Amino acid sequence: MRADEPKRYWKSLAEREGGAAYSERAAAEFDETPFAAGPLGSRRSFLQAAGFSFAGALLAGCRRAPVEKAAPWLEQPEEIIAGRSYYYTSTCGACPAGCGLLVKTRDGRPIKLEGNPDHPLSRGGLCAVGQASILGLYDSLRPKQPLLRGRAVSWQEADREVLKALAEARRSGGAVRYLSGTLTSPSRLRMIRQLLSGLPDGRHVTYDTLPAAAVLDAHERTHGVRALPHYRFDRANVVASFDADFLGTWLSPVEFTAGYSQLRKPLEQSPQMSYHVQFEARLSLTGSKADRRIRIAPEELPWYLAQLCARLEVKAQRSSGARLESLPILDDVAERLWQARGRSLVVCGAEHLDAQLLANYANELLGNYGTTLDLRRPSLQRQARPGDFAELLDEIATGRIAVLFLDGVNPVYDLPDGEQLARRLRKLPLVVSLAERLDESAEAAAVVCPDQHYLECWGDAEPVRGLFGVQQPLIPPLRGRAALESLAIWAGAPKSAADIVRETWEREIFPRCKAKEESFERFWERVLHEGWVEAEIEHPGSAFNPAPAQAALHRVTKTAAAGLTLVAYPKIALLDGRHAYNPWLQELPDPITKATWDNYACLAPATARKLGLTDGDVVRLEAGPERAVELPVLVQPGQHDNVVAVALGYGGHLTRRFANLGPRWLGWRPSVNAGGCVGENIAPLLERDGGSLRWTRSGVRLVPTGKRHALAVTQDHHTLTVPPRLAAADRGRRPIIEETTLEAFRKDPRAGAQGHPPPAEDLWPRDHTFPGHRWMMVVDLTACTGCSACVIACQVENNVPAVGKDEVRRKREMHWIRIDRYYSGPLGDVDVAFQPMMCQHCEHAPCETVCPVLATVHSSEGLNQQIYNRCIGTRYCENNCPYKVRRFNWFDYARDDRLANMVLNPDVTVRSRGVMEKCTFCVQRIQEARLEARRRGEPLRDGEVQTACQQSCPAQAIVFGDANDPASKVSQLLKSGRAYRVLEEINVRPSVTYLRLVRNRREAEEEERHG
Amino acid sequence: MAEPVLLAPEPLIAGGKRPGQVTSEILATTERRASPLWWAGFLVAFGALAAGIAAVAYLFSTGVGTWGLNNTVGWAFDITNFVFWIGIGHAGTLISAILYLFRQRWRTSVNRSAEAMTIFAVICAGIFPVIHLGRPWLAYWIFPYPNTRGPLWINFRSPLAWDAFAITTYFLISLTFWYLGMIPDLATLRDHTPSRFRRRLYAFFSLGWDGSFRTWLRYETVYMLLAGLATPLVVSVHTIVSWDFATSVIPGWHTTIFPPYFVAGAIFSGMAMVLTLVIVARKVMRLEDYITARHIDAMCKFLLLTSGIVGLAYATEFLTAFYSENRYEQFVFLNRALGPYAWGYWIMVVANVLIPQLLWFRRLRRNAAAVFAISILINVGMWFERFIIIVTSLHRDYLPANWTMYRPTLIEVGTLVGSFGLFFTCFLLFCRFLPVISMSEVKGAIQFGRTRPGAPAPEESPLPAEVHP
Amino acid sequence: MTRRLLIGLYETEDDILAAAEAARLRGMKVVDVYSPYFVHGLERAMGLPPSKLPWVCFALGVSGAAFKVWFEYWTTASDWPVNVGGKPWNSLPAFVPITFEVMVLFAGLSTVFAFFLVSRLWPGRRAVALAPRTTDDRFGLVIEETAYFDAPAVRRFFEESRAVEICERMMEEAA
Repeated sequence: MRADEPKRYWKSLAEREGGAAYSERAAAEFDETPFAAGPLGSRRSFLQAAGFSFAGALLAGCRRAPVEKAAPWLEQPEEIIAGRSYYYTSTCGACPAGCGLLVKTRDGRPIKLEGNPDHPLSRGGLCAVGQASILGLYDSLRPKQPLLRGRAVSWQEADREVLKALAEARRSGGAVRYLSGTLTSPSRLRMIRQLLSGLPDGRHVTYDTLPAAAVLDAHERTHGVRALPHYRFDRANVVASFDADFLGTWLSPVEFTAGYSQLRKPLEQSPQMSYHVQFEARLSLTGSKADRRIRIAPEELPWYLAQLCARLEVKAQRSSGARLESLPILDDVAERLWQARGRSLVVCGAEHLDAQLLANYANELLGNYGTTLDLRRPSLQRQARPGDFAELLDEIATGRIAVLFLDGVNPVYDLPDGEQLARRLRKLPLVVSLAERLDESAEAAAVVCPDQHYLECWGDAEPVRGLFGVQQPLIPPLRGRAALESLAIWAGAPKSAADIVRETWEREIFPRCKAKEESFERFWERVLHEGWVEAEIEHPGSAFNPAPAQAALHRVTKTAAAGLTLVAYPKIALLDGRHAYNPWLQELPDPITKATWDNYACLAPATARKLGLTDGDVVRLEAGPERAVELPVLVQPGQHDNVVAVALGYGGHLTRRFANLGPRWLGWRPSVNAGGCVGENIAPLLERDGGSLRWTRSGVRLVPTGKRHALAVTQDHHTLTVPPRLAAADRGRRPIIEETTLEAFRKDPRAGAQGHPPPAEDLWPRDHTFPGHRWMMVVDLTACTGCSACVIACQVENNVPAVGKDEVRRKREMHWIRIDRYYSGPLGDVDVAFQPMMCQHCEHAPCETVCPVLATVHSSEGLNQQIYNRCIGTRYCENNCPYKVRRFNWFDYARDDRLANMVLNPDVTVRSRGVMEKCTFCVQRIQEARLEARRRGEPLRDGEVQTACQQSCPAQAIVFGDANDPASKVSQLLKSGRAYRVLEEINVRPSVTYLRLVRNRREAEEEERHG
Repeated sequence: MAEPVLLAPEPLIAGGKRPGQVTSEILATTERRASPLWWAGFLVAFGALAAGIAAVAYLFSTGVGTWGLNNTVGWAFDITNFVFWIGIGHAGTLISAILYLFRQRWRTSVNRSAEAMTIFAVICAGIFPVIHLGRPWLAYWIFPYPNTRGPLWINFRSPLAWDAFAITTYFLISLTFWYLGMIPDLATLRDHTPSRFRRRLYAFFSLGWDGSFRTWLRYETVYMLLAGLATPLVVSVHTIVSWDFATSVIPGWHTTIFPPYFVAGAIFSGMAMVLTLVIVARKVMRLEDYITARHIDAMCKFLLLTSGIVGLAYATEFLTAFYSENRYEQFVFLNRALGPYAWGYWIMVVANVLIPQLLWFRRLRRNAAAVFAISILINVGMWFERFIIIVTSLHRDYLPANWTMYRPTLIEVGTLVGSFGLFFTCFLLFCRFLPVISMSEVKGAIQFGRTRPGAPAPEESPLPAEVHP
Repeated sequence: MTRRLLIGLYETEDDILAAAEAARLRGMKVVDVYSPYFVHGLERAMGLPPSKLPWVCFALGVSGAAFKVWFEYWTTASDWPVNVGGKPWNSLPAFVPITFEVMVLFAGLSTVFAFFLVSRLWPGRRAVALAPRTTDDRFGLVIEETAYFDAPAVRRFFEESRAVEICERMMEEAA
């Protein structure tokens, strides 16, 4: 591996064999067993040694670490230099979207996940969940050993148990079921097939907590292929989304955000941006970015789609005689879609077959198939067939299952009748769970063979047909055993995960790739280097059959919502709850509600007023007999009046671990509620028909309990308008966020400017010039979707602690970058503006002047530096910061989990009690890049320094660079007409510039909204 | 300033005292055994002090998080108490120094206790900037001393650094002033007290004072010089305290009228505290002849004056905000008067501006009970003034996203109670062991053996003509 | 040599003023007067010159201020200049408050110490107990016997000037 490469990837087996040579030496000298031992072949052992022997040495210091695998670093492996960061490609395993990763490892342990800029889907972005998933690797509560009926046993013993049961099933023809979520990993699927093939009655059943079955079925009907199209938002100039939160939680948010925002960055030279209309019941992240947002009850959704289709039919002269109701909005939308046919996109997120049929019809009429919807290379997520799952549940009920495998699913938690299911699972002869953590289902399983984290074992993924990503281990396993290996053992052919994955790729993928390389070795080398590869696919023909869609069009009638409708939705951070164990995600403020550590019943302001409820009032949600959950109310502007929206993924057993989180003192309150969990599980309120869960349920009752519950929200005041009676005449709205319409922007790039620039002349002599670099940041408010990936990225990069619900309630969250969210316009359908707010590194920093001990001073490159060990904690700087972006260490935040501490970034000081901290513009990254450039003997190139927030941003809304370099991207953007600075008039001269928020609207429209 | 002529009608000291009588009467309290009343007061005060010590101990062991502060409101009770106590202190210096320069001879009966009050108040004040630190054990870093960090000096541009110097200077000068004024009386005590132990003690501290007139002459000169220095000092100290806020960029803090506003407020609150203490002291220690209705009356007039200035400042703030056309400025003041902390604001206005207007009536000024009640109210009002200035400016500043509320915790309340405990403990001990009234000065103020009438005509200044500044 | 001091104790301010003045005018050697409080006019009666302490105060005050302003400049702009909030290296206006405080501190403390020094006051010093009750309610006029005014003459003078008590002390003193 050439040492002068900026980033270091795995290059070739040959090189690693070189490493192995070393490892054998090291092994021979000390301890043979780990390398010889067990089914894990020699490749595993070089993995341990070549890169990771040093990590072993590190881990040896740590009680919970696998000390027996540690080999002290006598000779430096030629690949690794201590204290330098190495980046390895991998594929994110946090959700099935399979985004490309660059894993930053330091001294043999992963410390940060970054998006792989070359990855065709994620394009360098990475969502909050993905960013945070690294903490799961160092989760000390993951079981280390298998559990046999709750008792920790050896792997041999566990395997014996499983193999016995399988043999029995093979003999007696007992049913063996393998239940998992949709798996996109070819290797995993191959091993499951291998395991089940040898059995008389073995079946692989999948079910998705976040399903897309309706989309699949609809396409089966209209296109004859049961496939989930690959939506191409990067090609869609007009997007009509029906309850699809594609920027937040739907299918592949990072990919969609990247594509979507690429068409929404209007420039002077090309003042273009896509048009996005959102029909939805609750205010989703996606809805908050829409140019036009129409509140509709879930029940009305199919009818709206039908009306849209009817209009499109007319335009396409293919009318099937559907009745047209007068709906000016839809006329407009239909017209826009039609104008952009072929470049438009209608997406529907509702699990409703008719709705999906109609969506397909609309796209067909618009000729979007093949352009903005790709059925040739469909997405392979969420492929579950509810029917199979229903069948399986019946089998479980009747108890005619010999062996049941649970892989990455938690039905006991997900299903309304979870307890009953748990009881039934306990009755089954053998239930084997491969859960990483002891969730509800694992607790009900007889045998738990904990799987490994995707960063410690081999794996692969095929999120979109023909697009393969590889996962490689980056640290010796800390916990559990790779599921691949378990499966191999149970299938009777023990093999290392590395071999299994290589085999899959050699046999199934390599042949399908018209690779330049002739030998697999070289191909594999390239794959590991790039992290992904695209393969040829045989394309199933799919002719469109309008009949079912037209049938739906005529079938669908206008149905009014009766009473309140419960809408269960996945939250940005927690999704379906699989990451509920993760304190970072629990503490990540929801982009819209700004609430942490809880789920709650969102009510529209009108509804709340009608029921006399305000934020924090606890209500009992009742759905059917003895199906009730108590939740605090949160009043959510922009939500439909007939809807009560509640987040999924809370109240799971995985959150019990937070019982003692946060600094303990007299006033401390636990982060968990009375039930011992964070939030409430609302599964009991949902109804299951057959194998699919309904995320909406009409006719729920809402009973005030009179109790109160203090929500931990990070933002109390939600608009830029001050309370009316406190506003002097016409000074109500503050020009913190400047926005304009596309129309106005076309006329005048500076349209919407409000702030007054400070006086140019200065009272003082210009003592301070910035001759070298001058670091500045530009944040595009139009592009920013508020997805909060940057918040977590910053938290991981800068060792920011999670402080717990009570501290957040006291407004002491520690995030260095926060996303301010402001509502505007009519309370019913509000406009939302997001503003990432971090230290503005003011040239005339008020915080610096007032610090008596010079603990915060200015660097010669324009950075506002905080010197922790000089800080005595007067908090004067915090008070004097107009942006209030400084964070104080009110306590010694506990860092007693030594395994969790492995995730800490060694380049960033861990702050102690009583000192101030804040965003540093990732000065450690600047330094790293600078040193790298110096080593190369070249000047620092633009874009070589990337702050953590910038790197992770899927929308690429953040640009950082040297303003002294006229060619740099930052300098270009600073000249933009949209550029403005917050609180410019107080002459603190911030180094962060914002690009005005542009909405694709007509000025008149804006007038009638806000005028 | 009240004019000597106004004070002329009645004698400064009632009851036609003789010097010996003065000595014995004033020393009576220090020599007789402590009264149960004193013990009661002392135990209460000490209890409060103990509570404060406990609160601070817990604070140090656990962290500033035990206070109700947050990312938006970084100061509240801590700095409120600091400014409040500093303000209290100022009246002492005013009485002892400024009135001295203005030849207000009525000050003689109250200046000792007022100065004592200054010392104790400054001690209370000085505690808060230290304990409010995130890392109080490093508080000394705020002073520039040669160190091995470069040496790394301090930031002389920071008002907090100015504070450190101002408070230190103020404390040392006040202490010196107080002690200097007490030396002759300590000598008297030394020659008067029966107990050998206390005689030793007083002998040590009276530095062998023997009343030689050559020393007296220098003494008067030094006393005058110190008074001359203390007068600008007291103004500078609260000016600097006000700069803690005035030099910031936060609306509601960034105000040019703060210095005069704060100094007036300080004297206002301090005068009220003097009255509170003195009215009790004279009753309990039977010193009505020395601290007469006339003294109370004179101090009440100060209250009237300063209350007027403070009220004017309140009004001016609104005018400037309105006139500034600055939306943030305007909001802060509307928010003070009508926002979530309006109750505090109106307590402040009523107690500091409206109530004191009662003092226009002579009969009320002469009614110790009424004056006592009013003085208490003023103390409360002035505490709230500082609270309002600090908290309402911070809790809703520029970015609405930062807006939040502040609620004190028990620990914070404990520290406030503790500071009162400390103050009264010190004061009660002072009443017990030191002459609460400057005997040497009172003796110079009584009629006895002096053919000249009570009040001095201007040419008969208490100062030797030769050393006029 | 030994000195013979005669002390007349007076009860009132008027008497001591008159007596001191008279004694001086008659040419008696008035060593000192001991009084419980500062008697205005007595310095004129005794013909004492004004104190020089104001000069100490002034000098030390000025030098304190000068030192501080230099120190602030040196530390902030010269020894280790740091960019603080874009303020100039030499932020003179910001140095004023501390300069003032230090001036007052130097002037005040130095004056007091100078006073203790010249008046020979220090902790534990034994008070010269020439006359009893001079710290309480008596004024003591101390006159040294000279060739012209022998003890009887002085006693006579004391009696004339309404001294309530007369006593005598011998004082060993290195001339």
